[in-house]
Amino acid sequence: MGFDEAQGYVLLTTLALPLVVAATLLFVPGSQKMAVRYLSAINASLLLGLSIYVFLAYQAGGDPIQMELRWAWIENVGFLQENGISLHLGVDGISALMTLLTGIVAFAGTLVAWKLEYRTKDFFILMWILIAGVYGTFFALDLFFFFFFYELAVVPLYLLIGIWGSTRKEYGAMKLTLMLVGGSVGIWIGIFAVVHEAGLGTFDLPTLWAAGESGVFSPNFQKAIFPFFAIGCGVLAGLWPLHTWSPDGHMSAPTSVSMVHAGVLMKLGAFGIIRLGIQILPDGAEFWMPALLVLGTVGALYGAIAALTQRDFKLISGYSSVSHMGFVLIGLATLNEIGMTGAVLQMFSHGVMTALVFLLIGALYDQAHTRDLSDFGGIAKVMPLWVVAYVVAGLANVGLPGLSGFTAEFHIFVGAFRTYPIFGGLAILAAAIAAAYMLRMFGVVFFGPLKPRWRDLKDISPIEAIAASLLIVSMLAMGLWWAPFTDRLAPTILNLPGVTS
Amino acid sequence: MVPLENYLVLSGIIFSLGVYGVLARRNAVLVLMSIELMLNAVSLNFVAFAAYLDPDLITGVIVAIFVIAVAAAEVGLALAIVIRLFRNRSTANVDEAATLRW
Amino acid sequence: MGAEEAWILAAVPAITFLVLAATGRYLPRQGDFIGILAAGAIFVLFFVVLADFLDLGEAAWPIVNNIAWTEIGEFELRMGILVDPITIVMLAVITTVAFMVNVFSVGYMKGEPRYWWYFAMLQLFVASMLLLVVADNLLLLYISWELVGLSSFVLIGHYWERRSAVEAAKKAFITTRVGDVGLLIGIILLWEATGTFNILEIIEAVEAGAVGEVRLFVTMMFIFLGAMGKSAQVPFHVWLPDAMEGPTPVSALIHAATMVVAGVYLVARLLPVFEVAEGALLVVTFVGLITALFSGVVAFAQTDIKKVLAYSTISQLGFMFVALGTGLVGVGMFHLFTHAFFKALLFLGAGSVIIGSHHHQEMGQLGGLWRKMPITAMTFLIGSLALAGLFPLAGFWSKDEILHAVDSHRGAWAYVLISVAAIMTAFYTTRLFIRTFLGQPQDAEIHSHTRETGPIMTLPLVFLAILSIIAGLVVFNGVGDAIGFPGGFPEFVFLHEPERFHVDWGLVGFSSALFVIGTFGAAWIYWRGRLDRATAAARWQPQLSEMVQRKFYFDDLYQFAIDRGVLGLSYLVSWFDRFAVNDTGVDGSANMTRYAGFVLKHVQTGRVPNYAMAIAVGVVALTLITLAVRN
Repeated sequence: MGFDEAQGYVLLTTLALPLVVAATLLFVPGSQKMAVRYLSAINASLLLGLSIYVFLAYQAGGDPIQMELRWAWIENVGFLQENGISLHLGVDGISALMTLLTGIVAFAGTLVAWKLEYRTKDFFILMWILIAGVYGTFFALDLFFFFFFYELAVVPLYLLIGIWGSTRKEYGAMKLTLMLVGGSVGIWIGIFAVVHEAGLGTFDLPTLWAAGESGVFSPNFQKAIFPFFAIGCGVLAGLWPLHTWSPDGHMSAPTSVSMVHAGVLMKLGAFGIIRLGIQILPDGAEFWMPALLVLGTVGALYGAIAALTQRDFKLISGYSSVSHMGFVLIGLATLNEIGMTGAVLQMFSHGVMTALVFLLIGALYDQAHTRDLSDFGGIAKVMPLWVVAYVVAGLANVGLPGLSGFTAEFHIFVGAFRTYPIFGGLAILAAAIAAAYMLRMFGVVFFGPLKPRWRDLKDISPIEAIAASLLIVSMLAMGLWWAPFTDRLAPTILNLPGVTS
Repeated sequence: MVPLENYLVLSGIIFSLGVYGVLARRNAVLVLMSIELMLNAVSLNFVAFAAYLDPDLITGVIVAIFVIAVAAAEVGLALAIVIRLFRNRSTANVDEAATLRW
Repeated sequence: MGAEEAWILAAVPAITFLVLAATGRYLPRQGDFIGILAAGAIFVLFFVVLADFLDLGEAAWPIVNNIAWTEIGEFELRMGILVDPITIVMLAVITTVAFMVNVFSVGYMKGEPRYWWYFAMLQLFVASMLLLVVADNLLLLYISWELVGLSSFVLIGHYWERRSAVEAAKKAFITTRVGDVGLLIGIILLWEATGTFNILEIIEAVEAGAVGEVRLFVTMMFIFLGAMGKSAQVPFHVWLPDAMEGPTPVSALIHAATMVVAGVYLVARLLPVFEVAEGALLVVTFVGLITALFSGVVAFAQTDIKKVLAYSTISQLGFMFVALGTGLVGVGMFHLFTHAFFKALLFLGAGSVIIGSHHHQEMGQLGGLWRKMPITAMTFLIGSLALAGLFPLAGFWSKDEILHAVDSHRGAWAYVLISVAAIMTAFYTTRLFIRTFLGQPQDAEIHSHTRETGPIMTLPLVFLAILSIIAGLVVFNGVGDAIGFPGGFPEFVFLHEPERFHVDWGLVGFSSALFVIGTFGAAWIYWRGRLDRATAAARWQPQLSEMVQRKFYFDDLYQFAIDRGVLGLSYLVSWFDRFAVNDTGVDGSANMTRYAGFVLKHVQTGRVPNYAMAIAVGVVALTLITLAVRN
């Protein structure tokens, strides 16, 4: 087996490992919580290692798609011809970075779920299925399996939020699931339309990309079908105005789930727009991008402005996520190399940052049992490490140079200015508003006189500290060393059809 | 010979009477009697066609014999249900048997 | 190490920051000596860099040194340093004042909470500021600009147990952030137009005519917005007085000598580009004049000694921008240079007063400190005279240069206005000095407990006082030659042509007259602590007095705009999101479905006759349709 083939098996392992662990956990008695936790922790560490490997092993100067593996499944039956449906895995620069993100956030999320007491086994089984779905979506180079893993990532959320959530969990879980699955319907329609129109009887993505380039999709077809992908994936990405599942969903979800959800899952949506929308239907993308730009800018500003007066921590964070995903959409809409690089960087940066924020909020809520800002005051006195971590996350949110937020936002701004200067200016304004809501929260909650009620708060636990440190290191890494990240993204992004330099 | 239409009109009238009975009658047994009327009307129709249009194969007469057999079985089953209904509800009024609703 | 390694000046405090942040709490004396060592080291290293710079000779200037960093698209981004006369001036100012402040802080911050963290943040600030002035490209400049803002935020909020300190820090960060939006837009626009972030390349491209007039003007206005924010020009000035919540040495370093002059530095650096943009320099002059006058007036009514100095700083920054607005970078930089020393001196002096009087800084509670704190009073006097512009102290020369530049390059209207501002400077400075140090003590209790502060605080005062006396003399080419420079200040820092300095005795007389008017005017009102004349004036025009006291309602206006405007908008958006988008849109469509189900369920009556009727009707309908379609 050559080295390249072996690397394909790395991807398969990364995908299969969580599923295997989930299956194994089925046989572990529910009462053996520590066994469940240790097994999950080991799994998370392995996944982190594999994810880092995938990212580092991806050659910046090599082919756009690396580490390929294909197992043929259904061929030459019905309308399926050669290569009908196959398990085709591979990474390009974008998915390599996303894999790294998943590994980091999954690891952090697992550590944070350490102290979960209620039905621990079931929780982790569902989590690992979800994570497997996420990895699968990033690796999938076959539309069928892309959709399959996409659904696998979304459906467990209903149970995870509905059973282990907090405020209005049934409502939040139901709304989230219905909206996301509704989006999936759009995606499925799009997939079928594309497969049918190509007439090749295959779900294989590279084949369809090549077909697209040879012009088998007429411009009208592309313009008609792109919205299905854009809106279908956009729901998950928090595209305004389909974003309302996000604030409520995050409010209800348990901490680890929020971390993984806001950190990784929402990026699946943006990733879908790239993989399905831009790569298959570039002309359609070009036509619709101005609309996406407007929606993205509205989302960016809207989320930032709404966050200014929220009283619940998680809602501030939820609206902040809407705002940051707006930046991602702006970056994608520029369809130029710098802007799109920024969008992908922002996907990573925001993922890590938001995971950290939810981690910290969860740590506070577990002790304080309230998330209302006005209940707090001066807690920096009793929880200094927690505050430091939150300040770092907040500064990354604000786009302070040296942290990943600036790296990503800077690319997006430069890219946006190239094509749509006014929107670029608005985007920068949204980033400035971020400073306002962040600092307001800091001032109200962390600083000022300490409210006597909180005198006995404990700082973050060592386990949470490990998770937080990993996330902070990731933010610093992307903040200080741009090259390893941008180098890997450049060839992939330049290779995307319709992307100008 | 009497024209075929006479038989068709007759069977049509009897069928209509049967339909009216099914839709308008309150007593379950009367509904069943109306269903029997409908079945008989249909048999009459088939036999008339067989006699006039297909005297050699008389396919229609064979269908009528099937109908009689099926009707008998169906009535047996239906009356059993009606009796069960009556024993539970002390009424054979079809309007009253309406619990399988929203 | 030479001029090409000037980045080491930034690296030393950066590493010190990391060391102190990680371990400071556990070190003996919480690591303050490490802070002083680092500050002293860069003070010394500055002279090494300077010597090498002068040694290399004018032909070699500016010194550049850069490395490849990353690629943005197809554009290769290089990061590095640029050392030219402007840089040297800034380095001199930063390292000197930082050193003095570090030493002073040991005395001032004794016993304060988070002592080690304070020194760590000071180091971070110095590192960022040094990086800012040696940066050779706008991106690196922006990065250090933001880091400077961050350190300022943390230091202003040092006493964060106090709600007012937290609010002040927030206000500083957000106000400068608004300006930073402009700066970032301007930087990106410049990149779009010239294809590079490198400052020298940008200047070259613009001078070669690469950018259209209107576009260049707009771009430079955006950049100037950033400068206005950081340098507290009207209307972005509101954060600086509030920033006085921070420890006084911080005010001395950041809000007098270094960070607030970052905006001046930025304009000076890009002055060639400002020159090409038609009208840009006029805007700069305007803003500077308005600021100089406005804050001079507001300073009249302040009673907190730090607030007076804060408004004074804002005003003097206005002077610097007026100077730059004439296109003479040397004049602006010269005032930046002298101002740094005497303003830092005044702030540290105020700090000494605060410590000496056991934490009082209101003029209404001070007075007559001359006898109790002689060294502080003497040095404060020297600083005040320098600020007011007494011949031949440092401030006199730089202010003179500004008057001269405005006269010859701007026009009579500006000359008159700036002269008025000069008079006001002398006035409020004298008022400050008299009410704090002379006359009768306002509060006997406080007065009796006041003591002179220890040498760790008075020695920096003395050093800065000496500088305030002699620093202005570098304007003479004889003095410049003697210490190894190619001439006096205007021959060292210039834009197009070096200008030898000549004493214009008429101007000397004029500006001395301004000094006299201002000083004696204030003395006449405030001498011997007689406030009757001042209070009488206030009662004569109560609304005017109120307006001045309320700082022309700027803070109130902003607060109103934020409360009603911004926060109002936010409530509106949140409301919209919850009720329109969510409850009506999402939940609404969900409820529609439920409602449809609720209505349609009535079809299931459970009554067999109804179903039978449905079947009958259906059959009839189908038959009719089939017959119709067949035909």
